[in-house]
Amino acid sequence: MPVFLKMSVSITFLRPFARCLVPFTLQRKRRVLYSTILQRYMSSKIPAVSYPNKESTSPPEQLELDGWKVTMKSSVQDEDASTVASSKDEDPLTATRELIEMWRLLGREVPEHISEEELKTLMECVSKSSKKKYLKYLYVKEKMKKAKQIKKEMKAAAKEEAKDQLLETTKEDKQQNFLFLRLWDRNMEIAMGWKGAQAMQFGQPLVFDMAYAEYMKPKELQNTVSQLLESEGWNRRNVDPFHIYFCNLQLDGAYHRELVKRYGEKWNKLLLTATEKSHVDLFPKDSIIYLTADSPNVMTTFKHDKIYVVGSFVDKNMQSGTSLAKAKRLKLATECLPLDKYLQWDTGTKNLTLDQMMRILLCLKNTGSWEEALKFVPRRKHTGYLEISQPSQEIVNRSKKSKTFNSFPKGSLNKRSQKR
Amino acid sequence: MTFCFTGIRSFPKLWKSNPYLGLGPAHSSVCLFLKDCYGIRNQQKWFSLKTASPQNTKAVNLLIAKARYPRKGDKGNKKQVSSDSPHLFAAGAAKKRSQMNPQSKDHVLSPVRDTIQLPTKPLNSEEWDKLKEDFKGKANFENWISSQMAHCRSSVDVAKSLLAWVAAKNNGIIGYDLLVKYLYLCVFHKQTSEVIDVYEIMKTRYKSLESGGNSLLIRGLIHSDRWREALLLLEDIKKVMIPSKKNYHDCIQGALLHQDVKTAWDLYQELLGHDVVPMLETLKAFFDFGKDIKDDQYSNKLLDILLYLRNNQLYPGESFAHSVKTWFESVPGEQWKGQFTTIQKSGQCLGCGKTIESIRLSPEEYEFLKGKILRDVIDGGDQYKKTTPQELKRFQNFVKHCPPFDIVIDGLNVAKMFPKSRESQVLLDVVSQLAKQNLRLLVLGRKHMLRQGSRWRRDEMEMVQKQASCFFADNISEDDPFLLYATLHSGNHCKFITKDLMRDHKACLPDAKTQRLFFKWQQGHQLAIINRLPGSKITFQRILSHDTVVQTTGDSWHIPYDEDLVERYSYEVPTKWLCLHRQT
Repeated sequence: MPVFLKMSVSITFLRPFARCLVPFTLQRKRRVLYSTILQRYMSSKIPAVSYPNKESTSPPEQLELDGWKVTMKSSVQDEDASTVASSKDEDPLTATRELIEMWRLLGREVPEHISEEELKTLMECVSKSSKKKYLKYLYVKEKMKKAKQIKKEMKAAAKEEAKDQLLETTKEDKQQNFLFLRLWDRNMEIAMGWKGAQAMQFGQPLVFDMAYAEYMKPKELQNTVSQLLESEGWNRRNVDPFHIYFCNLQLDGAYHRELVKRYGEKWNKLLLTATEKSHVDLFPKDSIIYLTADSPNVMTTFKHDKIYVVGSFVDKNMQSGTSLAKAKRLKLATECLPLDKYLQWDTGTKNLTLDQMMRILLCLKNTGSWEEALKFVPRRKHTGYLEISQPSQEIVNRSKKSKTFNSFPKGSLNKRSQKR
Repeated sequence: MTFCFTGIRSFPKLWKSNPYLGLGPAHSSVCLFLKDCYGIRNQQKWFSLKTASPQNTKAVNLLIAKARYPRKGDKGNKKQVSSDSPHLFAAGAAKKRSQMNPQSKDHVLSPVRDTIQLPTKPLNSEEWDKLKEDFKGKANFENWISSQMAHCRSSVDVAKSLLAWVAAKNNGIIGYDLLVKYLYLCVFHKQTSEVIDVYEIMKTRYKSLESGGNSLLIRGLIHSDRWREALLLLEDIKKVMIPSKKNYHDCIQGALLHQDVKTAWDLYQELLGHDVVPMLETLKAFFDFGKDIKDDQYSNKLLDILLYLRNNQLYPGESFAHSVKTWFESVPGEQWKGQFTTIQKSGQCLGCGKTIESIRLSPEEYEFLKGKILRDVIDGGDQYKKTTPQELKRFQNFVKHCPPFDIVIDGLNVAKMFPKSRESQVLLDVVSQLAKQNLRLLVLGRKHMLRQGSRWRRDEMEMVQKQASCFFADNISEDDPFLLYATLHSGNHCKFITKDLMRDHKACLPDAKTQRLFFKWQQGHQLAIINRLPGSKITFQRILSHDTVVQTTGDSWHIPYDEDLVERYSYEVPTKWLCLHRQT
């Protein structure tokens, strides 16, 4: 407030002069602009004109400008013969490798090392832009790997140091009494296994429809499998897990292969049902609800006697309506999350990732509160919750300041309750 | 705070005249000051000045007048636009429409300049050292300064002194990136001998170059006597990727500069062979060069270029059109006469009075398009995506059993034309006006329109159904594909009414050729309502009767072209023409 007042005062003071000030500054600016243009023009023009007979006209203190050329040319003269001879017969593979190397020198985003296999993938890219995209992907991957490596080394060094210190201090350590051995991870694993087995018997089914392999590119498929892995992990850790079904999972299809590759030996010990059958064969049709963001029906409550189906489909290609078409074909009920009802949506698609869906459904199942459940919607996608009971709050919510102000106590409050 | 609020309230009229801040005064003031802080719009600045000093009325009035002035100007523009009312697909129409929309504001961000002044004359190494000390930034100094120099097109000598300094520090070695940026400057300033020097250095130092360096070398070398080496560089690029159209353009230009016509045409053929659309500059270069050549074969090839423009629905630019005109007029013995004109509404050229090709599709094209729309837009591999098989069958039966329609109406699009009036009433209005002209109408809509509600009155919908045939699709189906199919099914005389530009449906079509066919059909059959007030007599945007495409009748050519100062969107067509005819 005081700042504001001050500002207005200073403006009132300036205002009478404003009209004469503005043209003056404008003029000056223009003059400066002219002079720089003129300067630039002259400086670029003069050497160009006098170029052919520069030696004669240049002043005596003229810098030695062409010296580097001689050294650049001469320094390689010795190795010249060998390189020229070898460069005559080269296949496109090595040519591409050299191209990437030159791009790296130029500071483009390309990887430092590239394997034969990656190089072949690169050659198979149809267009220039897809090649560049793939190279950038490799570059980022390489960078992350390197950063991780460095971090790992630093950690190892720190550990080594801590160990040395520990050795010094624990020499005279006395006997201590403990109730448990430190086998927490394994105990947790076993407990989760028990809960999972219970869910297999009595849990509410949750279906992942795997019939979308044909709509996805390899990369999207990999992303989908990552999301499936994560959602399975969230489910396992929950108090009351779902009984997960992977329906329409073709044996030795792309999905199956990728899943087995990622899970390894654990794949056969997973506490979930993977089947080639469709969900309409396993469950009564009228109890199935297909969840899709394109659905015209909005989900109001989580029903414990229904079977929810989530399409395991990462769609980077904007094929909207694919899952809705699937549900229409099988004449299934569809629903979408009430995102617009509870959230002030900002950017991004309404399609959420599989693990977010899983966490939302788990939360709904356990608490039934939409506010709690929709906390798992990424924060970047919306600007805040809609307070339906208090319309005046909405206006406050809209302006930027109050938004951060509003969300802060909420978040801290939740943390506290979780701790308890 | 209260102080400034009173200031605002005392000028309520002013607030009303500002369309950006339609909310309550309390809310809008927040908006205002936020905007003012960012300095996005000048006008708002004037307002804030005013609110701060309400007592000085004389000055305030002046400022208000100033603030209002641009608004008045806007309105004048608007009037002009609406009276002109270019047809939906005319070049520049979309731009004008977007300017009429007051919500669009463009953020103008002033570029942040860096602190260091770029040197304007060559520096010696001490001076460079000093400059480097002054530089504070994350990037490598040499890299940064060379990029800046390339960006500002510094003189070659300054860049050279930088390289000399770097080389002196670095045992005579200069990095590839610096060399490329230097090469860029040399090429930009057309210093061919420098280019050749750098070329020699690069050739000895590196086994092969990357595409950027190669492109620069090609562009630099074509002006020299060693232009044939540019072709070798082009071969180098080809080893790993398809050269860009710019590369081909440079090489062709080089060949033409050195009178090697055969190489130029060979390169052109190769370019087409890669399915690359050539730059219009390339084509222009052929025409420019053709003035000095009296050769039938060459002329035929130029005519082939014009046919290429026709088949791919490309339009030359203004200078290209001039080149074409000059070339035609230079052909000996044929006495071509060219002029720049426009086409009348009747489809006649203002210059020679000849009728331009009709927008109508040929029967084969028509059948082809109909099949494609049914297969790719409505069906699209999965009938459930846009409709259901039952609905599709129901619709096809419906269309089959009705006699052909004259006009197909997109019910929802038309009804939502005026947000302030009731949907069903607007629809009824349009339908009854058209029905009076004894036209057979079809109204397409969705089932929810039949449900009684505040926006859709049942009695009005019944009146609509009396005057027109109606088809209501499911609420989750798309109605546009049905509209397209019903219109196509009724025959070539049938038109459809919607303001939708149908770009998403056009995108569903598999190849560019079909898309162009669709666009041509759309231009000839789409009626868009341009009324600004509900209740008034409806007027349609006029439909072009002629096709905007390069065309010939043997002894005349009509070539539409883009004006330099008009921005044309991809779904619009030019309005200016070059008319060429032979005098006999």
